[in-house]
Order: sequence, then C-alpha cells, then structure tokens
Amino acid sequence: MSETLPSAGDPDTGIVLEIDGLYRGSPYWELDTSDARIFIDAGPSGGELRQANWVAEVLGRSRVVDVNDRAVHLVGTFTGREDMIGRPIADFWPPDSHDDLADLIAQVAADRSPDAMRTREITSLLLQAPVLTVWRSQQAGADTMFVAVKGVVNDHRSYWSLRASEERYRKLIHHMPNPLLRVDARMMGRVFERLRAEGVVDIESYLDAHPELIAFAEQSVRITEVNPAAALLFGARSPTDLVGPVECLFKASPDTARRVTIAHFDRRRSHAEVMKLRTLDGRLLDVRIAVTFPTPPEQLDVTVVGLEDLTDQLRTEAQLRQLQADFTRAARISTLGELATSIAHEVNQPLAAIFTNAETSLRWLSRDEPNLAKVVQLTSRIVASARHANEIVHRIRAMTAKHAPEWRPLDLNEVVDEALLFLRHDIDARSIRLSTRLGLGLPRVIGDRVQLQQVVVNLLVNSVQAIGQAKAGRVELSTGLGAGGEVVFIIRDNGPGIPEDDLDRIFEGFFTTKDEGMGLGLAICQSIMTAHGGGIAASNRPEGGACFQLWLPAEPDPA
Amino acid sequence: MKADRLSKVPVIAIVDDDQAMRDALCELVQVMGFSTEAFDGAAAFLAGLAPGRFDCLITDVRMPGMDGIDLQRRLRALGSTMPVVMITAAPDPAGRARALAGGACAYLAKPVDDSTLLDHLRSALGHGEGAGDQTNDEDSPGG
Repeated sequence: MSETLPSAGDPDTGIVLEIDGLYRGSPYWELDTSDARIFIDAGPSGGELRQANWVAEVLGRSRVVDVNDRAVHLVGTFTGREDMIGRPIADFWPPDSHDDLADLIAQVAADRSPDAMRTREITSLLLQAPVLTVWRSQQAGADTMFVAVKGVVNDHRSYWSLRASEERYRKLIHHMPNPLLRVDARMMGRVFERLRAEGVVDIESYLDAHPELIAFAEQSVRITEVNPAAALLFGARSPTDLVGPVECLFKASPDTARRVTIAHFDRRRSHAEVMKLRTLDGRLLDVRIAVTFPTPPEQLDVTVVGLEDLTDQLRTEAQLRQLQADFTRAARISTLGELATSIAHEVNQPLAAIFTNAETSLRWLSRDEPNLAKVVQLTSRIVASARHANEIVHRIRAMTAKHAPEWRPLDLNEVVDEALLFLRHDIDARSIRLSTRLGLGLPRVIGDRVQLQQVVVNLLVNSVQAIGQAKAGRVELSTGLGAGGEVVFIIRDNGPGIPEDDLDRIFEGFFTTKDEGMGLGLAICQSIMTAHGGGIAASNRPEGGACFQLWLPAEPDPA
Repeated sequence: MKADRLSKVPVIAIVDDDQAMRDALCELVQVMGFSTEAFDGAAAFLAGLAPGRFDCLITDVRMPGMDGIDLQRRLRALGSTMPVVMITAAPDPAGRARALAGGACAYLAKPVDDSTLLDHLRSALGHGEGAGDQTNDEDSPGG
C-alpha cells in the first residue's frame, strides 16, 4: 500500500535546493514571512486559545512564493501551482501540523545563523513518520523560509483528493434530510486517557463522585458543524447559531449527557436513546439522539450526532393509545348497561339485608326492655352488609371509570370471581347451572385487572345470551396451567355453538350475529388479550356448545 | 302471655340463597315472636320438610337451582297447603300472577316492609281476618 514518493521525473520549478538535493522529490515550499514578522517575533503566549490565534496569524500571513509539483499534488488545489502562489500557507497546510509549522518558523526566525534550520517529526494523515524541515538561506534573505516534508505516503490519494472526499461528505451531510451535527469531542478523549492512566475503570462511579466532569464535557465538547435540517429542528435562524458547546443539546435531558459521556469513556462505537430536546425557540421535542464516536484511524475530531424528531410520532401513538382506551371503556360501559338488572340486583341484595336488619333493630329497641345485645349483633351485620354494598359499587365504578391501564401481577382466579359478580344474578335468573373449577396454586399473570375482567364478563355474557331461554343451560368455567406454562381460562356452554363458517370471523370488528349487538365485544377481547401478550381462541365442543379459551403468560419468576 | 303461647309458637321456614338476607329475615321474623328455620335453597328445605314441622314458608323467588315458584309447585304436588310468602328483589306482574296462581298468600318486594310482612304472616297463620289471597277451601294439612 505505501510507497516512497518518487524522486525522479519531477520537473522542478527552478529552485535550487541547498540541502544537497535531500528534499528533491519531497513536497517543498518557499514562503514569504515578512507580513507575519511581527507575530513571529512576538512569539506565542498565554493559554491554548492565544496559542491557536498566534498559529493562525503566522500561517495566515506567510505567503507561498513557490511550491514544487509534489507539494501541489499532495496538498494543492484543483487548479494547481499557479493558484497557490501568493496565498497564505494556512490555506493548504494540513491542520494537524499547523502548530508544528508555525513553531519551527518562529524558531528559525529567532536563530541568528543565516542558514538556520529546524527539523521535527510531525503527524500526518498522508505520510508515515513524516519529518518537517524549515530553513533559511543566506541568498534569499531573512523573511524567506523554505519548508519541506519527508516521509512515506500512506495513501495513494493526495491530500486534496482526501479533501475532496471530505467535501463530498460535507455535502452529503448538508443535504441529508436528517438533522446531523458534527461534534469535536477530542478534549474528552484526552481527559479519558488521563483518567484511564490514573486507573479509573468504572466511569459511572467516577461521575457520581465528580459530577462536574459532565458540566466540563458539555462545555469542552463542541458542535463544529450543523446541517440545515438540524438548524430547522432547533429553530435556529442560521446553522452557526448552534456552533459552540454541546450543552445546548442536553438542556432538557441532563441524564442523557451523562449516558453519552459514559458511552464515550467505555469506547462504545455509538449511543442512542430517546430524550427531550429544548429548541432554541423554546419548544420541547421528543427526539431520538444517536451519537457515533470516531475510532482510530478515523478523524478523531468527527463525532457525528444524529437527531430524529419523534414528537409527532409519540403524540400520535399516545392519541392512538387514548383512543383505544376510550373505545375499550365505551365497550365496557355498554356491556355493563346490558347487565344493569343483574348489577342492580347485586347491589340491592346487601341493601335489602341492611333494611331488614334495621327494622328488626328498631323493633328490639322499641320494647319496654330493649335487647341491646341483639341490636349490637344486628348493627354489626348492617355494617358488614354496607361494606359489601360499598365493595360492589367500587367494582362497578372501576369498570366504568376512566383510567390508564395498570399493569400489576394478578391472580386470574380472582379476576374470574370478580367478573362473576356482574352476571351472577343473570345466571340465577335464567336458572343456568354455573360450575367453576379454578386451578389451585396458579402462577400470577401481569395485566390490567379491569380489562381482563372485561374480557371474562364479555365471554360470560356471550354464553348466557347463547343459552338464551333454553332449559337446563350450563356454563362451565375453569382455570389452569397450559402446556407452555401459560395461565389458561376456559369457558364452555351448552348453547347452540358457533356456526362453523363464522369461527374464523368472530374476532373481526363489527362481526355480529346478534340483532342489537355492534359486534365489537370479541374484537375488543382479542385486542385486550394481544396487548397482554396472550391470546383468545374459539371452538365448538363435540357435544355441542361453544368453548372460548384465553391464555396469558405467567408472571416471570423473580429469581 | 309469652308462657301461654310458648308451646304453640309457629315455626316459619325461611329459604334464601343470600346468607345476609336469610339471617336478616330470620331475625325479623323472630322479633315478631315466631320461631324460624333457615335454608339456603329449595333442595335443603325439601330435604328438611316433615309433616307439621313448619307453619309457613317465606321464600326468595330467584335462586340458583330450583326457584321459589318451582318450590311452591313441588310443595303443592306433595300435597302441602302450607302458606307461602314469596319475596323478590325484582317484582313483576307476570311473576306475581304465577306466584299467586300457584297458591302463594303474598308476593312481596325486597326489601320487605316489616309491618306488611307481619300482616301477611298473621293472616297466613290464621290469626287475622282470613288467609288473604290464599284459597281457603283446602285448609286441611295434607299428608
């Protein structure tokens, strides 16, 4: 893959190389540093930022006087040598060694020897172990500097073809409809190297002890480039509004900053999650953030952050869930309406007992010698019946109340028992023989009590209605454990059964054989069971009558 | 007066599948001065039936298994003329007609008004003016 730069066939530009042809065939520049003199002489001072400014001034004011083809090929522009002459070296010099070049220029300038020369190993994307040399020559004068780089080419592509690929990549990002940010997280890379050198392995506990590191990361990691889609997402007037510290990303989700930091430290390739995003114009969005960290030999200054606005999607999903819940509740209330007589009877029963016990108490009290012991006994029975009535009212209210589904571990037998409350009277009134065989020691299931009750009530109503006024109606309920460890509920009746042609369609919405029914009961039962990770199936019994089966996954063993 | 009537305190059978209601009826009938025996269903009552054991039957209409109407029919089929008071949580004209046609002396709504019940018990037991709705041409104990 790698090759030495060819030294032959270089129609050089007429510059005589003083250093015995050493740099013939290597990239070579002649620079006029006169405009940069004042900065060169002043030298760098102060912190990192001042240093960066100084480098930019030195290289921005040092102009290319001449350049050989090798240099043109390696870092030049499409238009070639002519276009490079007279322009600042900063425009062409690879950024990863700007500091080194400025530094060597300053050292040579400070050297009193007329043939001063400095050499240094630098890093480069293009060359292996490149060596940078800067020197001055007596003939050319103090402001003229010669620059050469010697090394083995890593890649056949020249710097400008790399730049062209970079340009393509920039264009791609620019035109991507997805919001993308380019982020420079190198500072944290260095911080993490140091932490690792200090023996930090568990970054989470380190962050617990040093929460200020997150704040530091939010400041030191910087957004360097933003595509128009991202600017739009953020409600920024211009993409440059976002260039700066990444903290603006995490204003509404500080925990995300922590998790991204952890992922970076742990050298994960990427991190994605859904978070809240506060835009520049104050909106609060739900977005999926995906951070992709660079790994060597990629350009380490390119961390890519992708954002996807999920606000509408999540809102639609929530609306859909709400609609489903409303719909399920409406069906529940409609079913309860059908059962009003049965329910009224259920409530009336304890009320009648209360009434009678109260009358009896009054009779004991109105005697010449009131039997207080009896009254105490009757009053406690009144309390018990009142409590019972209250429980029934609570259960009815639970079935009609608007509430978000609550996922709790449940005993399916209890659910069946409670569902029976709503139909017991109906079943008695029609002289239907009800038998229940509830399995003992069943595992619990995870679900919403009211919705599962709704399913059982629905199936009971169907059975009772199927039996109709027929004599000797029978309904059998049973619970047990299925072959796959699931909890099963089975209801069988001795009604007319389901016409074979309808068996495949009974769970479809609006399928009904009843005159007054809407045909939503079984469709809703099925959607409830599906939401619970279970299912429902219907069949006919060989001896006549229908059989419905429900199954629900058992609660996972906590062990 | 109490001692005087002790030997012939009428025994009222009470049949209701709901325990709270059954207990309440027993207490009410007891405070009215009668003796009671309670059964949780028609079958239990029929099993405990013996000539002259009960003077009157108070039964719920709607019960699992055999309902009050059927119970009365069975009772009559056995030849009993025991007065029957029906109590129902869901009174309706058709049910009332069936109950009275089957020989019930009263068809009362739950919750039952205590003085109404007492009036009916008294008349059923022959303490009052007559036997109310009951046909009184077959007054002899049967079987």
